[in-house]
Amino acid sequence: MPDLERRADYFVGHFEAMASNCEVLIDTEDKNLAQEITRLAAAEVCRIEQKYSRYRDNNILHRINQGAITRVDEETARLLDYAQQLYQLSEGQFDVTSGVLRRAWHFDGSDNIPSAARIKALLPLVGWEKVQWYNPQIQLEKGMEIDFGGIGKEYAADRAALMISTFVAGQSDTHACSTPVLINLGGDLAVTGPRKNGNGWQVGVNSGASTMSPQAADFSLKQGGVATSGDANRYLEKEGMRYSHVLDPRTGWPVKNAPASVTVVAASCTDAGMLSTMALLYGPQAEDFLREQDVPWWCQWHNKEYLL
Amino acid sequence: MSMIKTFLFSAFISLVLSACSLEPVQPWDRDLLAQQKMQLVADPLEIYLDEHTYFSKEGSSGGQSVGGGGCGCN
Amino acid sequence: MQLKKTQQGPRNIRRQLAVATCSLLAGASHASSLIASGDNWKIDSALLIYAEKDRVSLAEGILNIRKEIDDDEFINARIVTDVLTGSSPNGAVPSSTAQTFTNPSGNSTYTEAANTTPLNHTFKDLRNALSVDWDTPLNRNLRGTLGGNISREYDYLSTGISASLAQDINQRNTTLSIGFSLNKDTWDPVGGVPAGFAVMPAFPGKKTISGSNTDKTVQEILLGVTQVINRRTLMQANYSRGQSDGYLTDPYKILSVLENDGSGNLRGTNPYIYENRPDQRTYQSLYWKGVHQFPNENVLNVSYRYFWDDWGIQSHTVDLRYRFDFDGGHYLQPHLRYYQQGAADFYRQTLIDGEETTLSYASADYRLGEFVTQTIGLKYGFEFKNGAEINFRAEMITQKGKDRSADAVGILQNQQLFPDNEAYLLQGGLSLDSDMVIKYIMRLFK
Repeated sequence: MPDLERRADYFVGHFEAMASNCEVLIDTEDKNLAQEITRLAAAEVCRIEQKYSRYRDNNILHRINQGAITRVDEETARLLDYAQQLYQLSEGQFDVTSGVLRRAWHFDGSDNIPSAARIKALLPLVGWEKVQWYNPQIQLEKGMEIDFGGIGKEYAADRAALMISTFVAGQSDTHACSTPVLINLGGDLAVTGPRKNGNGWQVGVNSGASTMSPQAADFSLKQGGVATSGDANRYLEKEGMRYSHVLDPRTGWPVKNAPASVTVVAASCTDAGMLSTMALLYGPQAEDFLREQDVPWWCQWHNKEYLL
Repeated sequence: MSMIKTFLFSAFISLVLSACSLEPVQPWDRDLLAQQKMQLVADPLEIYLDEHTYFSKEGSSGGQSVGGGGCGCN
Repeated sequence: MQLKKTQQGPRNIRRQLAVATCSLLAGASHASSLIASGDNWKIDSALLIYAEKDRVSLAEGILNIRKEIDDDEFINARIVTDVLTGSSPNGAVPSSTAQTFTNPSGNSTYTEAANTTPLNHTFKDLRNALSVDWDTPLNRNLRGTLGGNISREYDYLSTGISASLAQDINQRNTTLSIGFSLNKDTWDPVGGVPAGFAVMPAFPGKKTISGSNTDKTVQEILLGVTQVINRRTLMQANYSRGQSDGYLTDPYKILSVLENDGSGNLRGTNPYIYENRPDQRTYQSLYWKGVHQFPNENVLNVSYRYFWDDWGIQSHTVDLRYRFDFDGGHYLQPHLRYYQQGAADFYRQTLIDGEETTLSYASADYRLGEFVTQTIGLKYGFEFKNGAEINFRAEMITQKGKDRSADAVGILQNQQLFPDNEAYLLQGGLSLDSDMVIKYIMRLFK
């Protein structure tokens, strides 16, 4: 049962999913409504987690990863279409088949760098272009795997927001049917609209030691979503070289000199997540990429001495 | 008549070859092609009945597929 | 998919990304977590009534059941029953006097009035046919189909097998296919198999027969290419070649034999003889089909076939269907078909006395003659929201032949030798999933 907490003029529901602390901020005085909305959000996020978790052996993802021809449902088909479009938009940098590289890379702060031969051996298992995706059927080559980890949390946030919007719009009480909500899945945010007072949601971005876009300076979230990619604590370090956990699927090696983290605001949480991930993949050019996109962003770098 | 055959054969071959220069249609653009009405044989029973009818009334048959079986009507 | 290395650094992808994300989330509001289920049986059925003016009538029912037995692996079974009644041209030409013929059985006679196309009035047949196909993926881009079929009439048995392979290439935009079929058919005609050019004796005489039954084999091979041209257009091109060996004659068809005085009168004794055809036929065809959907969602389906064989027959067939979609699941589909055929080398509408000893083969079967078939039809269909469909169509088929001037001797110049034909076709069809049937039955019992 998700728990609910009353703050100044809104409710906060809490639940755990997708290895994150999840929050639902509900701009209402109605405790029952807040309870129902939290329950709805938790159910949707958990549904997506179960359906697409790569740690389970009873879901559609597991079936696909067995390598047989698999007929997928509509939702999975949309995700696969999306993955394919991202692959093209990113010119091969964003690739849902790149998860197998984690068999070689363990970003635990150590100097445990895999051998070039090990990486080379895994590369034939990476590459969306090898996937036979013909809606509604998919087949992977033997040993390949698909992983929606790079999309899942953001997608779940948007889905939960969408479910709540639909639910709220269906409420007969005129007050209830205009209840704005913010979903926060471990830092990936989606909102259903501005707060009742017309202001945006105040979102704290850890902007210490970061550069940011001009739009980011006085930022409050009225529509869309926010996502952060990168993790300053996940890296390998050897002989003065820091290896970020962002892997380039085309080489199998980490992107050199990538930012520690990138936060982006966009029309949806999913959009924000894809833009921030792609920014990381651009490595030292991350800010150039972000400037091109014309969205608010924050970019946090590792110690500058690692920049070559 | 061999002129007609030569022409048809070359039209056939050029159709096959022109396929190589086409821009492939990607899976997410196949919404229309996936519809039943866009299948080569949209209504298999209708085509079966037509083929059966004309098989028994005309001197030529086939061309679209193999199998299906004969009958004493021709 | 071609990946181009970017030379010009990062570019703006936000809008394209937003469009992609929108379609990811768009359908999501009612997304179900159900896996597309293959548990159901897809059932298609149709009933056809075909009626020729003053001749044959046919009622034909089909039931087709398709079941997905594994991922993308299907079994398809089709049961067909048809009942044929009425009369069919026997091959003899009209005469200015009434003509009397002996039935194939040799046990009775029938008489045709003057100046009318002689018809065999005892045409009555029941046919049952079953065919089963197994369609399965062999690897990622290769499908295989194996099929068997059997068809039984009281005087005819047809059994056959077929196999085909379809290979997808070019990101599944091109499909190459090859198919093969083999049929073995047996005739067990009423009154035995008439010997070639055997005379039709006056009742109660018996015709000369070559046996009580006979058979033929038919082999066909087909090579095909299906190509996706663009998002709205699909084309198919096939070449096929077939060979029939064995008894290819129609055991019930006869020819009129005329006096050799140019009068056009039937010869005095034994004026009718059974036809005789070669025992081998090799035929080929080129087939092209295109399907295109217009921006208004209407669909054009057009095909052309050129057919030729070593009997001298050539034919051209153009078939055109255009589907108009209306709101609410209704559609209308006009159908036009044009078929033009040239005659077989041994096609004769009459023989002159003595020719049966000099000619190797001759047949007056109108289907080997020179004629044109024209079809005009209209189909109406309605698609239910649950995926079921019901449809009706009505068509008119006309066949008009050309008389061989060399055969229209003397007084026969006043007769129409080719048996022109006019037929009407009515068809009703119903398609649904098995779970709809189950739900319906359960509702009846509630």
